Amino acid sequence: MNQTFGDTTRNNGSGAFAMRLVISDGPLGVSWKHASETCEFLGDVFALQHAKRGADYNDARHSIIYLVNELLENAIKFRVPGSIRVDCSLADGNFELTVTNDAAPDVANRFQSLIEEITSRDPGELLIERIEANAADDSSSGSGLGLLTLMNDYGARLGWVFRSTGPAVMLSTHAALTLN
Amino acid sequence: MEIKTAEYNVWNEGSTIHYEGTLRLSGTDAYQPILDLMQQVLAEKPQNVVLDLTQLEFLNSSGINLLAKFTIELRKHPDIAMKVLGSTKIPWQSKSLPNLQKLHKGVELIIV
Repeated sequence: MNQTFGDTTRNNGSGAFAMRLVISDGPLGVSWKHASETCEFLGDVFALQHAKRGADYNDARHSIIYLVNELLENAIKFRVPGSIRVDCSLADGNFELTVTNDAAPDVANRFQSLIEEITSRDPGELLIERIEANAADDSSSGSGLGLLTLMNDYGARLGWVFRSTGPAVMLSTHAALTLN
Repeated sequence: MEIKTAEYNVWNEGSTIHYEGTLRLSGTDAYQPILDLMQQVLAEKPQNVVLDLTQLEFLNSSGINLLAKFTIELRKHPDIAMKVLGSTKIPWQSKSLPNLQKLHKGVELIIV
């Protein structure tokens, strides 16, 4: 059964500049470092493509790196063993990203509750509220803050699809960003 | 005090704390040594605290949470002025640092 949250609209068509990377869970495993290396690579490649239109390379590169890094950090933190797929595309300044990984059903359920909460109200107000709540509770991990900064500070449009595929849940996180 | 790695350096000169490089640590626990350094500066009861971020190229959301926590801590010390220095050349700073002023009206934010 599929469950969809947020905005999963994809506008970039077959003519878009696109790339798929798969971080394989091979003998060396998936580590925290894969998030930074992958986001730096994609930031360079897609910002260079965007700058061909005379746009701001530095701003585009940074926004792509922040977006890819946050979603990959989440995927690495909350996945079950298995590969992580990263699909990116760019057309007319619209950058689209989908990160797909498997998660345990209980983790997926908790994440759905978090998504319902952070998509229910103005992200700017929620961001400040959650920061205050985190500061008051030392054991809090600050979960959800990355997604809220993406929505509020970067104007990212986020959506999620959960697919039950046997023992695990396949989670696809969609993001779209208008580059300056 | 100084924390130096291949990716980032954090150090203080008096009550000015400098950050340099790329900070992408995995969460609250990983950021604790940096928060400890910041709180040691605060423990000296300075007249003001300056966070110099002008050389900090990247900060993930866990790191932004660290700055936010420290800002909330400063709210409890209205006698200590807080100044945050940023750079327009580093895009995350213009996007995310204004949130600190929403947490603490006394924060002086200078992005040049």
